[in-house]
Amino acid sequence: MSGPGLIDGYLAELSADLPARIVEELADGLDETYRRYLGRGLAQDAAARAAVAEFGEPQVVMAAFTDASRGRRTARRLLAVGPGVGTWWAIVLITARGWQWPVPVVARVLFGVMLIAVIGFLAAAALGRHYRPVCRAAAAGCVGTAIVDAAVTGMVLITAPVLAWPVAVAVALSAGRSTFALRNFHHALTG
Amino acid sequence: MRAEELKGHLDALLLAALEDGPRHGYAVMEALRQNTEGRLDLPTGTIYPALHRLEQAGLIAGSWSVAAGRRRRMYQLTAAGARALSGKRADWRDFAAMMSAALEGRPCPDPA
Repeated sequence: MSGPGLIDGYLAELSADLPARIVEELADGLDETYRRYLGRGLAQDAAARAAVAEFGEPQVVMAAFTDASRGRRTARRLLAVGPGVGTWWAIVLITARGWQWPVPVVARVLFGVMLIAVIGFLAAAALGRHYRPVCRAAAAGCVGTAIVDAAVTGMVLITAPVLAWPVAVAVALSAGRSTFALRNFHHALTG
Repeated sequence: MRAEELKGHLDALLLAALEDGPRHGYAVMEALRQNTEGRLDLPTGTIYPALHRLEQAGLIAGSWSVAAGRRRRMYQLTAAGARALSGKRADWRDFAAMMSAALEGRPCPDPA
């Protein structure tokens, strides 16, 4: 592959996973690196090879951007607070004998499926290796978190016979988490 | 020095490289090379995600400019970044003094 062709190929590999604005920034840096090697007297092919080698393996660069993405950071934060919020809700539902409330089985099953899906999306965003899937999974996790919080809050407010202070705390925790998730949805999606 | 040996110190290096004024990613890498007399062996491509991470943390601010008909992302230190750099410098001095005392038997200076 010729010098410029080698650089184009390198950038094309990055483009497959990274957003255009990031690739544009990397292209500028790669071009500067290439020109520096040309200035040192290297031929085009050698300069391109040296520039690409200096930049590092595309997989390494993509993995570093994925780790630094807002999607991953948002997903990790939601996963970090999830056990605390979930445990509080569990305490509320168990102490209030929530299984005796008149909630349709279909609604219970749908809620369980949704909860598992949200955890799956967030785990995929926290552990995934590719930028775009990580951002999409994080965005889905944000929306899913807000839906799960809204669903459990609505269910308790409608069906609970008595609303004690632990319920108020649980609702506040869910409201805070949902707000965080929705405020970070766009950043998570775009990285 | 290799990338894995820099773990935990890269942020301070990048902030220091931006202390003299705004730079683009490649210029940040060049400044690091000059400041370390070429001993820094870091894939240039990994500098950019670290800059993005620092920008998200509010320690540097990024903006697009146009140079030679090409869009270029420039970064500059924020006030929070300057404070963070100052703190990291102090931490590093303490750490270096402690390591020198432990490894070379030099007296450990009073941190006060």
